[in-house]
Order: sequence, then C-alpha cells, then structure tokens
Amino acid sequence: MTTQNIAEAVRFCSVKTDKFKTCRVNVSMAMPLDKAVSSRAILPFMFQRRCAKYPDFTSFSRVLDELYGASVSAGVLKRGEAQILSFGLTAIDDRFALDGDKVALECMELLLNMIFEPITDGESFPADIIEQEKRLLTEVIMNEQNDKRRYAMLKCEEAMFADEAYGINRFGTVEEVNALTPESVYAAWRDVLERSTVQITMVSSMSPEPVAQLIESKFSNIDRHPVEIETQFITGLPKPEYVTESMPLKQGKLVMGFRTGMRNEDDMMPAMRVAVDIFGGGTYSKLFSVVREKMSLCYYCSAGLFNSKGVVMVQSGIEDANEEKAKNEIVNQLSLTANGEFTDTDFASSIKSLTDTILSSSDTPEEICSWYASQILRDKMKSPEEFVDEIRKVDRDDVVRAAKTIMLDTVFMLKSNGEAEE
Amino acid sequence: MNIKEIKNELINERYFDIDHPSGLKILVMPKENYSSSYAIFATKYGSIDTMIQMKDGSFKEIPEGTAHFLEHKLFESEDLDAFERFAKTGASANAYTSFDRTGYLFSCSANFKKNLEILLDFVQNPYFTQATVEKEQGIIGQEIDMYKDAPDWEVMFNCLRTMYHNLPVRVDIAGTQESIAKISAETLYGCYDNFYNLHNMVLAVAGNVSVDEVIEAADKMLKPVDGKMAQRKVIEEPKEVIDSYVEEMLSVATPQFMFGFKESWDTPERTAKEEVTMEILLDMLSGPSSELYRRLFDEKLINNSFGFEYFTGFGYSCVLFAGESADPRRVADEIVEEIRSFRKNGFDAAAFERTKKKLYGRMIMGMNDVDGIANNMVVSYFAGEDIFTDFEIYKTVTLDDIAELFEKTLDERYSVLSVIKPN
Repeated sequence: MTTQNIAEAVRFCSVKTDKFKTCRVNVSMAMPLDKAVSSRAILPFMFQRRCAKYPDFTSFSRVLDELYGASVSAGVLKRGEAQILSFGLTAIDDRFALDGDKVALECMELLLNMIFEPITDGESFPADIIEQEKRLLTEVIMNEQNDKRRYAMLKCEEAMFADEAYGINRFGTVEEVNALTPESVYAAWRDVLERSTVQITMVSSMSPEPVAQLIESKFSNIDRHPVEIETQFITGLPKPEYVTESMPLKQGKLVMGFRTGMRNEDDMMPAMRVAVDIFGGGTYSKLFSVVREKMSLCYYCSAGLFNSKGVVMVQSGIEDANEEKAKNEIVNQLSLTANGEFTDTDFASSIKSLTDTILSSSDTPEEICSWYASQILRDKMKSPEEFVDEIRKVDRDDVVRAAKTIMLDTVFMLKSNGEAEE
Repeated sequence: MNIKEIKNELINERYFDIDHPSGLKILVMPKENYSSSYAIFATKYGSIDTMIQMKDGSFKEIPEGTAHFLEHKLFESEDLDAFERFAKTGASANAYTSFDRTGYLFSCSANFKKNLEILLDFVQNPYFTQATVEKEQGIIGQEIDMYKDAPDWEVMFNCLRTMYHNLPVRVDIAGTQESIAKISAETLYGCYDNFYNLHNMVLAVAGNVSVDEVIEAADKMLKPVDGKMAQRKVIEEPKEVIDSYVEEMLSVATPQFMFGFKESWDTPERTAKEEVTMEILLDMLSGPSSELYRRLFDEKLINNSFGFEYFTGFGYSCVLFAGESADPRRVADEIVEEIRSFRKNGFDAAAFERTKKKLYGRMIMGMNDVDGIANNMVVSYFAGEDIFTDFEIYKTVTLDDIAELFEKTLDERYSVLSVIKPN
C-alpha cells in the first residue's frame, strides 16, 4: 500500500496487486455532521447517474455497459461526527478486456468526472434533476423504517445523542430535503470540493501514477481550505434513559446504547474490541451463547463497538413480553464480562476470531478498499497486520479494564403491539 | 481416485474436480496468492423438498421448514458443538438453507485443514434429542417472526403463494410456527438419512489451499457409503396462477411490489443457455439502460430499488420484477405495455451486443471472492455444469435465441402483482 498527498487533505492510497480480476476504487469526502447534511447527501446519488459528458441518465448507463458492465455506486456514511460522501467503482481489469481497451483508467476518469464535472451552468444544477433527486432521497429517508432492525437503531441513536452532532441522521430529514434548491445544492457541492477531507483508495493492478495525475488535475483549480472535523467523546456516568415506540409488528426490537470510557477512537481500542467481542460478538460470546442459545429468547442478540464515537450498541429481536428478561440478562452478561468472568477459552477464541477475520479481509477488493477508506480521518493509516498485532498484545486485564468502563446510557424498545394483519 | 482439471483460458483460472472414493464430489480451486480459504459442504436438500421417498418408492410428506430446522440442529453434538470447535481455531462458521440446497461453511486465514476436518465431521454426525429440538423451536420461531416483519420477504412469498397452487416453492423456507411445532428428533433423523448421503452432496473449496490437503482431510474424515441420490418428486402444477393480485399491509413508508410472470415448461429444470438468454433479454427489456427504466424513472414510478430476477429451480421458473412505488399497478401496466411493444418491434441488435458485453464483465467480476467462487461451484455442480459454462454459453446466444425464448415467457395472463401497502 502506498499513499501520496495530492492536495491539502487529499490523500490517494493505492494497493497495487494483480490478485484480482477487477479495479476497485472508493472516493470518500468527509464533512462535519451538521445542519447542512441534506444538501450534501443528495450529491452522491445525483452524480451516480450522470455527468456533463453524459448528461442523460440512459446514455450514461449505456456507457457503463460498454465499459464491460462497470458499476458505480453512491452512499452516505456516518463515521464519528463526520458525514462521509462515498463513491465506488468496480471495473474489470484491463487484462480481461476483449479488445485491448484500457478500461480501468477510462472508468476512473468517468468516476472523477461524475464528481468534478457535473451538469451545471456555473451557479446551480438543473432544476428538473434536483427535483427528481429530492424525491429519491426523500424515499430513501422514509424507507429506512422498512428495515425494523435498522429503524430501531436509528431511533436509539436519535434519543441517545439528542444533544450531540452524532444524533444527526446522515441523510438529514425529509423537511430539510424538501427545502433544497438547485442553488443550495450547488453551493454545497462547491463547499465539499473546497473544505472536505478527501481520500481516494484504489485496489488494482494499475500503476498509481497516471491515476494520481488525473486526481491532481481535478484538484488543481480548486481553492482548498479543509475544515477541521472533530468528534465529541462523552465519558463519565450516564443517566440511563428509556424510550419506546409501538408499531403493528410480529417481533419487537430492542436496542441498548452504552457509553465507554474511550476518550478518542484509539483509546483502549484493541482491548475494547476484544471486550465487546467476548460480550456480544461471535458464537462464543456471552450474548449468543446465553441470551440466544441457553434462554432461546431470540434469533439474534449482538453487541457492536463504534470506536469512532466510543459507544457500544446491543441489538436484539424479541417478543415484547420478554423485554425485561432480555434487558436484565444483557446487563448481567456485561457485568460478568467486566468482572473477568469469562474463560481462557472464550478469551482465546475471541482473539483468534478477530485476527482471522481481519486477515481474511485482504482477499476481497471491497474489504481492502473499505479498510483504508474508513481511516480517512486518521493521519497515519494502519494496515490489517498492524491492527492484528495490537489485538494479539491484549491480555485479560486489559479486557476487564476496558469492559468496566462500559455504561448503559439509552434503551430503545420498538414494541410490536399485536395489531399486525395476518 | 479420478481428478480432473477444469480450465478456462480466457480468465486464466482452473479448478479440480475430484471423485472421492467415499462417493463425495469434491471441487477445489487453489488461489495461490490468497491468504484465506473458504469451504462449503452442501446437500441437494432445500425447502422445496417437502416429500421424502420411502423404500417402496412412494413419497411421504414432511413438515414445512424441516430442511432449515435440520441445518440449525446439525451444529449440535453430544459433547462440543460445532461452533465451540470452530471457536478454538478462529474460523468463521455458518450455514444457510435455500429453496433447493443446504450448505455448511467456514472461512479462515489459518488452520485450514483442522477446520475442514471439523466441517466434514460435524455434518456427518447428527445428534438430535427431543429437548434440543424443543429449545430450537423458540429460536426459529423468532426468526420466522422477524421475516414476517420484513416487507421485501413478504412481498416475494405473497407473490409465490399466489402464483403456485401446489409447488413447495410457495412455502416459507423456515416454515411456519405451526409446521415447526410438528418437527421431532425422529423427523430430523429421517430427513438426514435420506438427504445427507455423500452421493447427494458436494464439497467445494476455494482459496489458500492445495488439492492434496483437501484430499488428505477427506480420506481421514469420510466413510464410504452406498450410492443413493435422493429423488425429487415432480409435482403437478397448473399453468394458471391462483389470483392476479395480492396485497398485505405492513409498516412501510412507500408501497413495495413484486410483479411476477409464471412460466410453464415440459422439463423441470432450465438449462444454462436458457438462463443466460433470459438474463440478456430481461436486461434489454427493463435494465438501467432500457427505455422502460427511464420512462418509469421520469414518471416518478420507481427508484433505485427497481430490479428483476429470473427465478428458477426444480419444477419452477418465473420472471420477477420488484421495487418500491407509489403506484405499483401503473408500474405493472407499463411493464406489460413494454412487453407488447417488444413483441411487435423486436429487440435491437446494438442493445443486444452492449448487454452481452456487460454480462461478460459482470461474470469476470464474479470470479474474485473465494466465497462467491465456492458457492458458484456448488450451484453449478448441482445443475450438472461447471463454473465456466456461462463464459462459453454467452458467446453462443443470438438474437434469434432471444426471440425464441421471448415467445415462451412473460405472458401477462399468468402474472401476479403482489403489493405491500403502508398500514
């Protein structure tokens, strides 16, 4: 893996390998999570379908077909208190082009054109396109409730981080989307080009130089003045809060949000990763083996660490009637973890499983790409091997110390009130 | 032992097809520069197998959801269960049940041989008791409920249930609360003996492995068995659908729909050529580059979730269009209208070439990941093909093939519109 700085806070990271049959690229652009999220969230989706060179959605799509079915994807992520606009590209490697085409570089150029050369008159974007994209983004926001597990998670975050930027939905709200205009979205685009932190990650057999030049040319006439992005880490004893909502469902969804004592994303990180894994990670974890297997309360019950914010979220799908039973047991299993009541086998299993999974990530271009792309806000990037070394150094005492700082903050229960139709 | 090398020059890949003396087919694709490996041990037994053949040749019915239930329970044993054994090696283990197969799998970046031994061992050693079966009914009951709240799942099964009178593809993979209550340890042993015969199974491995180490593990762990392929019963199914429309209310923001066209064929399974031809046909008709897609988008009738699938398996085949729309009926009407227009005007030669190029690229992209490759080997083997078959076939498809297939499919008289409405 090599990195180079193309412009201020613009990093190009290249993993050159001929292991894969594809060229995979991710472009990530980070901005603070703030009130303007909607005006930016619309950009990746809008750019995904067109650019100045191929302004029409159908002709754009046909160009991708001709490029051997290259696919471009768009997304918006939340990492700590940053909103990340994400663009992805998968194209076949030039070795497999049937007519000796340079497919990968051409696709790369297309991807950059989507972001840097959209259809614009220099002041705004076309009104009809903005209207269409507003409808689509509104549907994306509204349809987030279709997946109840995801919905419950969002509601828990909304309550738990009501006074923090982290509580802001990465797409914004339907009202905010409705208020967008061709001019305001255009201004947001210029703002992103000038002020975001950017990382381009490429996993390909292509040499990085021509790609670096291409990226450099795109940034050459942009006046860069990147904004500082910081995430608030709240430590100390939280006052647990309970929030609930009812829907006509078959199964209730329980989400429990915990604060940890992490003061930044690296603080106690490897030990916290292991602690959370023993508590609610793999099949050897306490939540899986007790709440699911022993008590048969649910099909899933697991804990996840979001180190970019220093929080742990537990999710489970249960019957409403089992809510107290499940909550009590989850809290109980956490305190057992914090008291060091886990076997040496559990501990060893966790280390082995975590390291095995991390090392396996080098075998798919998507995972390599997201491994590095997710480090967009770090000054120095860590390789999977370096992280594995840190995990291997964790001992039982580190785990106990980390687990002891995990405190319950907010419980959200999406109740199934039994009015669902058969 | 017969070991055959299967090669594809175009993409510079090869794998080994091994007839192990135990009766098991083993497929191995070594990937020298990979650090992980993936193995899947699968049986040709899925949710559509709701009948079991008795010694006298007759068929006996088994409860819906048994294949999936068995999959959950096979991880258990008298002492250490399979998850505990994999926890000691660090592998990630899992399993799945689909309409026509059950697969047990792991991926790992260390201890491959040990992991393969565990996999081969636990799948060959069932241990079911009434108590453990009852415990699982609670867990699977929650899994069934979870899917009942998932609109994309419900919209599909409502469509299939309205399309098919008799075929078990209409049945939920996990069964129902009522059907799983009928499952006993005895049911599971009966199904196990019938379907988990090495001759009815396949082991597929891809990644950082050698053929030798796979064979060594197989020699050690597999006991030869008498050959017996489980027979699938051909079930009679009328050409007609039960109804042309079905709806359900769920907590969704925008209505979801699935618009399906039932097909009728003389043979129970579709050939690779038919599948590839259909893939091209559907992409030309309704893919992102089509006129229809654009029209639906411009009319605000669909969003990014719109897509199609040629859904096939033993005894069934149908074309499914799905998405989210404020007006599913109009989307369905537009699709029907477009089919009529294609019937009148035919397919465009330039679009055909472009779509083939796209399909070729997408097949190449599918050859990166060890899990994708290994699963592809399983599916291809059960279908009587190899994983490179499609690379050869796509080249032979002509516009005439498209036109010929088009005659046999997408007949609106046999269509079902399934809608999930907001409650």
